[in-house]
Parts: sequence; C-alpha cells; structure tokens
Amino acid sequence: MNATQFLSIFISAVFIYNVIFSRFLGLCSFVAISKETKPALAMSLSVMFVTTMSSLITWFIYRFLLIPFGLTYLRTISFILVIATFVQLVEMVIRKISPHLYRFFGIYLPLITVNCAVLGVAVLNSDMFFVNNKAVTGSFYYSLFQGICVGLGYALAMLLMSGIRERLDLCRVPEAVKDFPLAFIIAAIMGLSFLGFNGFKF
Amino acid sequence: MKDKLIVSVSPHIHKKDSVSKIMWMVIVSLIPAGVAGIFIFGLNALWVIILGIISAVVTEGILQVATKRKVTLLDGSAILTGLLLAYNLPSGVPFWLPIVGSFFAIAIGKQVFGGLGQNIFNPALVGRVFLMASWPKYMTAFIKPQNYDALTSATPLALIKEGKLLENISYLDLFLGRRGGCIGEVCILALLLGALFLFFKGYISWHIPITYVFTTAAVTYIFGRQGLLSGDWLFHVLSGGLILGAFFMATDYVTSPLTRKGQIIFGIGCGLFTAIIRLWGGYPEGVSYAILMMNAATPIIDRYTRNRIYGTK
Amino acid sequence: MKKLFQEFLRGIVKENPTFVLVLGLCPTLAVSVSVINGIGMGIAAAFVLLGSNIIISLLRNFIPDRIRIPCFIVVIATFVTITELVMKAYSPALNRALGIYVPLIVVNCIVLGRAEAYAQKQTVMNSLFDGLGMGIGFTWALILISGIREFLGSGKMLGYTMIKGFNPALVLVMPSGALLVIGLLLGFFNILKNKRA
Repeated sequence: MNATQFLSIFISAVFIYNVIFSRFLGLCSFVAISKETKPALAMSLSVMFVTTMSSLITWFIYRFLLIPFGLTYLRTISFILVIATFVQLVEMVIRKISPHLYRFFGIYLPLITVNCAVLGVAVLNSDMFFVNNKAVTGSFYYSLFQGICVGLGYALAMLLMSGIRERLDLCRVPEAVKDFPLAFIIAAIMGLSFLGFNGFKF
Repeated sequence: MKDKLIVSVSPHIHKKDSVSKIMWMVIVSLIPAGVAGIFIFGLNALWVIILGIISAVVTEGILQVATKRKVTLLDGSAILTGLLLAYNLPSGVPFWLPIVGSFFAIAIGKQVFGGLGQNIFNPALVGRVFLMASWPKYMTAFIKPQNYDALTSATPLALIKEGKLLENISYLDLFLGRRGGCIGEVCILALLLGALFLFFKGYISWHIPITYVFTTAAVTYIFGRQGLLSGDWLFHVLSGGLILGAFFMATDYVTSPLTRKGQIIFGIGCGLFTAIIRLWGGYPEGVSYAILMMNAATPIIDRYTRNRIYGTK
Repeated sequence: MKKLFQEFLRGIVKENPTFVLVLGLCPTLAVSVSVINGIGMGIAAAFVLLGSNIIISLLRNFIPDRIRIPCFIVVIATFVTITELVMKAYSPALNRALGIYVPLIVVNCIVLGRAEAYAQKQTVMNSLFDGLGMGIGFTWALILISGIREFLGSGKMLGYTMIKGFNPALVLVMPSGALLVIGLLLGFFNILKNKRA
C-alpha cells in the first residue's frame, strides 16, 4: 500500500474513468439535476456522502459475510439492499436533526438509491480490490478512498456542467438540441478533454 | 482588454463588425506562423491549411443556411477556426483529416451551441481532440523539418516522454522552429511577432498568456528530472504548442473568463494542467486538454469572480 | 386484444425508453460498443423487465405502499441475479463484455421506472405487454446506437470488417463517442418530432 496507488486511484476515479463521462453511472440524475448550480451542489454532496459510506459498509459485508459463507453471488442483492436501507436511514436522521437541511435536499436524497454510481462503485471495489475472493493488501483503504473519489468525480462533473448550462440558458440554442442533446454533446467534449490524463503515472 | 462589467455572454461589442475586425486581426497576426510552417515543412502544410479553412467555411455556411440563421461567413471566425485547427496538425496528415476535423470543429464545437459567442469550448481545440482521439496514428506522425538539418521527425516533447535524451537541439532551434511538430506551433519567433502585434493593438491582454506560460514554466522548473528545482523550464516554454495555445487559443474571448481575476485563475489552471500532463501524463503534450478543461470551468469562474455591482454589499 | 397491442407498440416508438423517455442510459452508452453486446444487454434487460413487471403486477395488491421501492428492488434484483448466473454459465464472454452493467440492471431506470409508473397499477396482461414493448424498444435503440458506433468506430459490423481501407474514427468506440452519438441521435429525433408537429 503506497501513496502512488492512492494518487492513481484519485486521477483515475476523478478524471480518466470519471463516473459520469466515462462510466456513465448516474447519468439520469446528472442530466436532470445539472441545470442549476445550487441543486447540483446539493446532489453532489449527498452522492459523495452516500458513495463513501456505502463503499465502507459494502466492503465489510463482502469481506466478512459474503466471502466466508460463499455467498458472493448474492452480491448484487445484498449491496443494493444495504444501500437502500442506508439512504432511508440517512433521510430519517436528517429529517429529525435538521428539517431545514431535509427540505434543502428534497427529493434528491431518495433519488440517490437508484443512482447507478453508488451501486457501481460498490461493485467496482469488490471487483478491483479482491482477487480470488481474498482482499488485497490495503483493500479497505483503497475501497474507501475510491468511494470518496468517485463522489468527487461526480461533483466535479456536476459543478462544471451546471455552470455551463446556466450560462447557455442565456443564449439562443438551436431548438432541436435544447436540454438533453446538447447536455450529452457537452459531456462528450468534457470527456474528451479529461482524456488528457490518460496514462498518468507519478 | 478593458474589464467587462456587464455580466452576460461575451463578446460584448456594440457593432457587429467590431467582432469581425478582431477576428481578421487575429488571422493576420497568425500569418507569420503559417508562413514559417510552410517554409519548414513544405507545401503539404499549405494544403492542410487551405483544406482546413475551406472545410470550416463550407460547414458553417451549410449549417447556417440549413438552420435558417444569418450567414456570417465574412466575419472571419470560421476562417480563424479552420486556420487554428490546421496549425494544430502535423503537416503529413491525409487530405481528409483537416476536412473532417474542421467540419467537426464548426458543427459540434460551435454551431450546435448556437453559433459565435455561445460556444463554451474553443472550436479549433474541440476539432483537434476529436481528431486525436479518432486517428491517433495520423495525429502523431510528424515529418522532418525540410530545409533544416534535423536528425529526427519526432517532436522534442515526445522524445523526452520516452526518456530519450535530446542531443543536437538547442534553444535557438526550438525558437526558430527547427524541430518536428505541428504546422503552426513550431516557429516561436513568428508566433511571438504576431502576439506582439495583437498586444500593441490592444486585442489581447497579458493576463492569460503570461500567467499560463509562467505557471507551466514554474511547475516544470520545480519538478525537474534531476530532483526538485532542476527542471528545464525554458525548454518547456519553447516546446510543443504552449506559445501557440497560450497566446492565440486560451485568449479567445468567448471561451475565457470576463474579469481580470478570472483570467488569471484561467491562466494558472491552464498552466497547471499543461505541466501535469507533460510531466506525468501518458501524452507528451497537454495544451489542448488543459485549455478545454479550463474552458469548461470558465462559466463557474465567471460566476464566482463577478465584479461587485456598485451599490451592493 | 387491440388495447394490449397498443400497450406493446407504445414502448417501441412513441414512448421509447431510450430516445423519448431518456431512461436507462448508463448501460446503453457503456455497452453499445458492438452490436452483439447491444443485443445481449437488450435481451438481458428485457428479460428482467418482463419478469419484474409480471411479478410486481401480480403482487400489486399485497405490497404495502410505504416500502414499495425496496420491495420492487428485491424482485428486480432476483431476476437480475438469475440473468447474471445464466449468463455466467452459458455465455461467459458476453458476461465479461457487459461487466458491471449486468448487476447494474437492478438500478436501471427503465426497469424501476416501469414498475413504479405502470406495473404496480395495471393488470398482469397489460404489464406483460408493456414489459415486452419496452424491452424491444430498448433493444432496437441499443442496436441502432451500437450499429453506428461499431461501424464508424471500428469499421466492423457484428465483428466482420465491412469496407477495406476504411479508417474508423476511434473516438466512437470510446465513452465520449457514446455521449456524442446519443446527443446527436436525440437531436435528430427531436428534429423529426418537430417536423411532424
């Protein structure tokens, strides 16, 4: 386990294999919510929190429950149940602690359950940091860090996209490409520009 | 360039033909670099430039007619895009490459956003990264400079990326363009002449190019090959597409921030990314990617560096 | 019977999940690198959609409203796991090609979306035909997108080289190419829609 490994997880999760532009996880919410900066930021923060926590929890479940009992084929079901439960818990806690914050997040919180990015990073972690049903050294820290970085990548994409779309709102965009088509084309160009980090090696 | 106090989409020009004038001035300032490129690489380079320009103009014309918008071919912006794209290509590319590239640059990089003033990304660079991703083989095949006694066709940046030591290339070689590279990027002398012209006429300000070049130099100096603070910053400043990018592409009004503070942030960001990609990325050159990434960040930068309106807190 | 047929047709054109409802794009874009992959994913998703629509519709009067989403997810996840295991057993190459996007069918907006918007309110027969229609609509959209990407991006179709000496635009088999193709196709269909209006 070394620092360069963390750096390459960071660069690859945020830029090269950006969750939106490269893996396409979380596209539905991305296209829908990136129209304005405030909601985009709110969604990004919630997603980042959930990806981090679910990376943590699903790692434990995979390592100490599914592998020892030979139940790795139940990965999909157990991960998604864990995530759904966790998001529900978070929703209830936020509602209790700070109704103001709860209203700020609105419907975005329950939407996160079906955000492919969350399940995606959990599955990715178990694919990348477990070999032959054994955890590689540092697996836990790598998984946790990847969860954080995937959230960061999502946030970066959201932030940039919302700024761009807010600005394009002031313009006369061709009717046919308004909203979705243009959003995808912009995402394509951003993805191309992130390609610059390909082959990054510290 | 004077500070722009109105917050809306640039360019903020009152008369339509002023935009046009700026475009044509930039085109004129780029002519020396093109002439140098043709001298260094041969007539192929001229063809690439011509094809790039024609394709850009034709694409814009067709799209504007098809979408029933005003045809603005004479404002020079399509010609400028075609020219810049050609300058970013090696001289030995097949004839269809600049045609397809310019088409993509104008159609996807510009018209899809609604035309001049509304594009987020620099169209020429959009075309370039599209070509780079689609036909990397052709985009990295450089020919030896003619009329000069160069040993190899590979660009200096590509050589150091592979870890090969550079012999027989002096700073003067880099400055005059005696090296492999893209048509418009190699002759620093010609580029700087054009840039000085634009400075004196007031068409570009120093904020972006100087901070860009300085940041790249600083980072490459600090993280040198032989340990900290040993980097060959002059080599980096004179190599690749840095001068072309910093003075002629990063300075595009439409795709860079409005305020001085924003422009400085933009320049630093471009410089940082360029240096990072050059030093540690897989590609030898990072100018196009760096500028495009900062183009994407420009709306956000604008948002957070807005000038305070007189009278508000 | 006619009404059932209408339900079926809806999913194919008028309410095509990909081009009209713009749902379930995650796997669509990731997987559409070749037509074979596109067909494979389309069939897998269609199977899950059909199965979950039927079961959820059958159970619609028994599932408590408050916990309906988790219940739907369990049903869907079961079908996805079946699909995953069958694919791993009989077509491991396809399974490897589709990667994490097979388990991700669980959170595929199309499947969950149809369960929420349709299957829990409609009869089993209606849900069955809706599932079929949506599944086929999704599959042909996948075939169109992967056809374009495979042909222009690698010069091949279904693995066979079509034109000699063709220089494919590699970007199209990359993620950015997928985003580009879907953006342009959506714009194209918008133009068609506006023309008809």
